[in-house]
Amino acid sequence: MSGVDEPTYGFLRNNALSLTFGGLFLITLGGQALSGVAQVNAEQEANGLGRVGLLDYATSSSFLVDVMENWQSEYLQFFLYVFATVWLVQKGSSESKEPGKEGTESDRDQQLGRHASAGSPGPVHAGGWLTAVFSRSLGLVMGALFLLTWAASAVTGWAAFNSERLGQRQDPVTLVGYLGEADFWNRSFQNWQSEMLAVGSLTIFAVYLRQRGSPESKPVGVAHADTGQTG
Amino acid sequence: MKGVRAVYLVYLAVILLGIGYAFVLAAMGR
Repeated sequence: MSGVDEPTYGFLRNNALSLTFGGLFLITLGGQALSGVAQVNAEQEANGLGRVGLLDYATSSSFLVDVMENWQSEYLQFFLYVFATVWLVQKGSSESKEPGKEGTESDRDQQLGRHASAGSPGPVHAGGWLTAVFSRSLGLVMGALFLLTWAASAVTGWAAFNSERLGQRQDPVTLVGYLGEADFWNRSFQNWQSEMLAVGSLTIFAVYLRQRGSPESKPVGVAHADTGQTG
Repeated sequence: MKGVRAVYLVYLAVILLGIGYAFVLAAMGR
């Protein structure tokens, strides 16, 4: 990325994709908070109870469990996809490697050991466990974020579940008790199923459909049978 | 690559802060 003949672009252009999605994340999170508090207030009104303020709602477990249950499923999706695409292929899909290239590939393919270059990241030159961890860092971070966000959805779901039970004059449940509740598993599965379908359909649709100019697609003129070409 | 690294670190920080915030709210029983 530091080649002397590369044109230099400004910060905004260099990071346009990440910044755009970061901005869209904040806007849609705001939308979730606004529509969420409106929904809560409609229920409060129907039950003859007082209104809840936006700040109170944004600092409640009921809001955070809805955020975390969606985050966890996204990180589960990426964690599974990053690891599955090492070992499994889909013939003809730009999302996949060529059949026959399953596995972690050679040091030469991966520019490791004596195939490393001066520009290779630090951990590549370090060797040993540091290189081994760095070689799996994308999947490991996605997996760790899945576990953390899933745990966060469990504890916020537990707090929200208990505050609802208290409102109905029922005894609160323990955290372990909540992990056996249908509420927790329904929140998890309803998000997981959509992620699995989305990943599966992107993988197979990328065989037969094209998006000119997108690295998520093969070049428009490439044959359906060609795998792993992006354009 | 300094700007790119900054965006990467901001993403990581936002995600970890969100997770931390969720744990704090749950611990407070809110």
